[in-house]
Amino acid sequence: MNQKLKLSDIHPGDSLPSVVKHITQGEINLYAEASGDFNPIHIDESFAAQTPLGGTIAHGMLILAYVSEMMTKAFGESWLSGGKLSVRFKAPARPKDTITTSGKIDSVEHKEGVPYVNCSLESCNQKGETVITGGAVVRL
Amino acid sequence: MSPISFEELAVGYEFPATNYELSKSLIAKYLEAVGGQQYFLTSGVVPPLAIAAYAMTALSQSFSVPPGSIHASQEFEFLKLVPIGSTVSCGGKIVQKVQRGRLYLVVLEINALNQDKEKVLSGKATVAVPT
Repeated sequence: MNQKLKLSDIHPGDSLPSVVKHITQGEINLYAEASGDFNPIHIDESFAAQTPLGGTIAHGMLILAYVSEMMTKAFGESWLSGGKLSVRFKAPARPKDTITTSGKIDSVEHKEGVPYVNCSLESCNQKGETVITGGAVVRL
Repeated sequence: MSPISFEELAVGYEFPATNYELSKSLIAKYLEAVGGQQYFLTSGVVPPLAIAAYAMTALSQSFSVPPGSIHASQEFEFLKLVPIGSTVSCGGKIVQKVQRGRLYLVVLEINALNQDKEKVLSGKATVAVPT
């Protein structure tokens, strides 16, 4: 994994390393345990079946973790201590979904001599439906 | 402390801070849930989204989230690396609560501080709440 990506390695239009995850109810339950978020919409199948969503859904923060995994693979520590993320949740991710998170480098700009990499990103399910859309900025 | 009701939430309300000890076992559990990324265990660094998750959980446990509420959008900024084994203090406040048609839009500012009271994470969450 990159510890510090050099500016010379970065070009507008470059794709970020995509991340593919298969979501299971077991993983959603694990995430609930790990995060402390036991909202029944995520873990109680009987409860969730009676809501307009019709079934359990993954935590939005779980899907965001996949986005952060992509950014960490691309930028390493520059992301971990110099990253900004801004996303909208467009659709729920459900058990048995395959979520593909991808992105690209849009531009590099300099502010007070410091380079910032602007990226766009998206997470989609196996039907091509957008689950998350947004952008990220990394200070190199 | 009982969660505050949504009706009582007002702009400016500050959530009580919650401390999380980011132990190796807690982070290992988080990494198992999100799949892989063993780099964090070998390097001894906490994944920033783990801190973000705990900050969000702290806030969501502080007020009663009405059924049907939707997490509409999220912003985060990661400011400092946090070593595994650290304790962070997560808190936030309500910065906006407006009614738009059949929904309330609530914006929460979130932050996490390390043991030296330095900000390691900041963010904003927008939640859409049905009226």
